[in-house]
Amino acid sequence: MAEYIKLIDVTKCTGCRGCQVACKQWNSLPAEKTIFSGSLQNPKDLTYNTWTLIRYDEVVKDGKLHWVMRHDACMHCDWPACAKACPSPGALVKTPEGAVVHNPQYCIGCKACIAACPFDIPRNNPELEKMAKCTLCYDRITEGKQPACVTACPTGCLTFGLKEDMLEKAHKRAEAVGGTIYPSNPKYETHVMYILPAGVSPKDLQHTNPNPSMPLSVLLWKNLFKPFTLIGMGAVIGGAFLHYLIKGPHEVHETKEGGE
Amino acid sequence: MDITRRGFLKIAGGTLAATGIGTGAYVKPAFAQPRKVKYAQEVPTVCPYCGVGCGIIVHVRNGKVINTEGDPDHPINKGSLCPKGGSLYQIANNDKRLSKVLYRAPGADSWTEVEWDWALDKIARNLKKERDASFVATNDKGEVVNRLETVASVGGASLDNEEVYALTKMNRALGLVYIEHQARI
Repeated sequence: MAEYIKLIDVTKCTGCRGCQVACKQWNSLPAEKTIFSGSLQNPKDLTYNTWTLIRYDEVVKDGKLHWVMRHDACMHCDWPACAKACPSPGALVKTPEGAVVHNPQYCIGCKACIAACPFDIPRNNPELEKMAKCTLCYDRITEGKQPACVTACPTGCLTFGLKEDMLEKAHKRAEAVGGTIYPSNPKYETHVMYILPAGVSPKDLQHTNPNPSMPLSVLLWKNLFKPFTLIGMGAVIGGAFLHYLIKGPHEVHETKEGGE
Repeated sequence: MDITRRGFLKIAGGTLAATGIGTGAYVKPAFAQPRKVKYAQEVPTVCPYCGVGCGIIVHVRNGKVINTEGDPDHPINKGSLCPKGGSLYQIANNDKRLSKVLYRAPGADSWTEVEWDWALDKIARNLKKERDASFVATNDKGEVVNRLETVASVGGASLDNEEVYALTKMNRALGLVYIEHQARI
């Protein structure tokens, strides 16, 4: 199965929020009551009913103002910390297309993914006690359609395609605008990539992680301590069996009642 | 307890599977979801909101609108939509839209529910009264103008082309000169 990448050219975004509405529309997510916060950003943060959000940043660098509108959603990591931390099989799945998909049917609401995510994307629904996040429109891309946000984007800021094509396109475009690619760590691949305008670094923007990595706690727990517990479990069963072999079955000592 | 060979294999297999789930060495379940618009009827339409005229596909199942999205084959928008056109679905499905006619009498501070017939009669009567009172048949030079300058018509965004055509016909017949529509922005 081919791997896909969603490429977000921040230099082309006009902040119309068509993607935000298209996401809600396709995933049948209800509207939210919000308050005015002094910015066009609305709602203020991602929620379990808002899987994608345009973040507005005003960056002043060298006396020049950059008004950056950034489409913020799940990064669909190649090696997802959320799926690694998830204890429930099938609740968070990395698919061959590159999408990290959650399935509410299997979610137990433990919030381990929320703690593990290096980009702070998953959100908990306190009513249902289940997590929710962007799925890269897995039900659309498996049927040859583009994600809802990409289909809706009027300026060509969001594009979706095969991994190789998108990587080539991203480097060409970044060179042309003199900008940078985020996330830039070649060891931490994601299936969502940004092209940031010249003079703007991920550090200047809200809700970004310039150095994403799998949390050490998740690695230690899943790769080191968890096998130990299994070895321990096996040792207990093996020990019991060994005890049976050496000592034989449990003997019941009959005691006379009222024998004192 | 009698353990047959078959029974032992069953228990052993079950134990293996149970411990396998714990280690994460499980077979990942398929996450194939059918697209929600599969087998739905696709009806192409044009966005009513602004003058651009983006193409939209309306997915209909059993006579109900289940989804709307940009038409990727449309030459104008090629599938893209602004947030307003993207929420077109809510023209058909939104419980917050008005379903009854509300009337606020002059000077009143609250709305009352009225019948459609009553409301249309009231509008017609008011329009007739106003037209009789301030119709301008001739101007200062004595030329025939047949104008009604005290009434304006403001077309709504979700009126389609044909509705606007009929509305304009009626407005011109009444003699209106101030005719406006949202699609002119």
